[in-house]
Amino acid sequence: MKNQWINHFVGIVRVKVTGKGIERFLNQLTRKEILIWNVKRHGTEAITFQIKVTDVKKLRGPAREGECKIRFIERAGGPFFLRRVWTNSGFLFGAVAFLILFLILSNMVWGIEIKGASPATEYQVRKELDEMGVKIGKPHFTIENVDVIQKELTDKVKALTWVGVELQGTTYHFQVVEKEEPEKPELYDAQNLIAKKKATIVKMFVEEGEQVVAINDTVKKGQLLVSGLIGNEEEKKAVAARGEILGETWYRSQVELPLESTFQVFSGEERRKYYLNIANTEIPFWGFGEHKFKEFEIEANDHRLKLFKWELPITIGTRTIREREEVNRTYTEKEAIKKATDLARKDIKSQIPEDATIKGEEILHQSINNGKVKLSILFQIVEDIAEGQPIIQGDEE
Amino acid sequence: MAKKWSQLIRNWMTQRMDLPPDVMMDLPRITMVGQIHIYIENHRGLLAFSDREVRLLLEQGQLLVKGKAFVIKTILPEEILLEGKIDQVIYINE
Repeated sequence: MKNQWINHFVGIVRVKVTGKGIERFLNQLTRKEILIWNVKRHGTEAITFQIKVTDVKKLRGPAREGECKIRFIERAGGPFFLRRVWTNSGFLFGAVAFLILFLILSNMVWGIEIKGASPATEYQVRKELDEMGVKIGKPHFTIENVDVIQKELTDKVKALTWVGVELQGTTYHFQVVEKEEPEKPELYDAQNLIAKKKATIVKMFVEEGEQVVAINDTVKKGQLLVSGLIGNEEEKKAVAARGEILGETWYRSQVELPLESTFQVFSGEERRKYYLNIANTEIPFWGFGEHKFKEFEIEANDHRLKLFKWELPITIGTRTIREREEVNRTYTEKEAIKKATDLARKDIKSQIPEDATIKGEEILHQSINNGKVKLSILFQIVEDIAEGQPIIQGDEE
Repeated sequence: MAKKWSQLIRNWMTQRMDLPPDVMMDLPRITMVGQIHIYIENHRGLLAFSDREVRLLLEQGQLLVKGKAFVIKTILPEEILLEGKIDQVIYINE
């Protein structure tokens, strides 16, 4: 017996035959090589059987000859199934639309939570996030990586020491640690103040202790500035000498700057391409066409789609192709010297403490050869040179 | 008379030459699986069909199958597969 399930693809029709001479009719069909199956009797004058859809037309001849009536009572398989799917396609579309909607919604920012920040910092953080594009309702793939957000936040918001950025589902969690000015310890041990380095004293402000040096004195490194031992000769008391001793120090900085230089800069022209990456196959879906940039840089950014808590093997990739240009910069000698001085100043500022100021500068040496400007600059810096030195009690006796 | 003669010759040949009788003599070949299936080859057409009785035309005579809840699973010009509960298979000679 042949396998009949294959007929399901073609389509099956259940036929009801009523009248007299049904057996003759069946014999005619079999002689015509029409495959019929599941022949059942219903009462005395009716039978039903199934045939293939393609055989329906062949029924016509025998049916006319005989005295029986034919009715088609049931359609199943292949084309009929497809038609039913089509008429009920609303459900299918609904299901697909739901999935797509869910996919879109689960890849959006639904909440931003900031913990551990004071209202002022929180406001600042929120403002920065807004600028970065981290807003409620934004799709995740338009937003930078968590690491990038973290870095930018710490860079831009001064009040932050550290910020933990975490993406949990559709919500960004920020754990903020604010900078707290450490409270100065009230109690000091008995100490002297000594010079950190060689300097000329410009200004002195002694809170406690006995001043040993005077303004305009030149001090060596390690020289006593403010003594922590006060009182008269007979009765000496050790206290914590405190104060600010501003001294003038010298720093030398050497810079070199070429007159002509080439830079790689971005021209501002860029192209974006979006890819859908399904199981390591990239399908571009937005931004077609080749770019015409001679020199360019490609920045790739991938965002994995999520459904509920699972990560799907689908990523949305963005490729930003930026045009690069070479720019020649030429300085005149004057400009070059000015630039070099600026550079030197910057260099010095990174070396000296934050509260120090540049009082003056002096170009010691300046030369231009091989297309390079060489500068040697001496900076006059005013900074706090005081440094605590504990007084060991044993020493005074 | 001529038909009878040819029958006799065929009968004799199958016996002498050890040929399969169903091929030589156009006899029905009936295969049954318990009471539930009956498979009849070499029939010559359906004479009557109801859910309690099926009558088939053979080369010689008729075959009557009695039982309950008959369904013809397949019917081809010379083959028929019947399903149901088969009680009796009867040969009817004229």
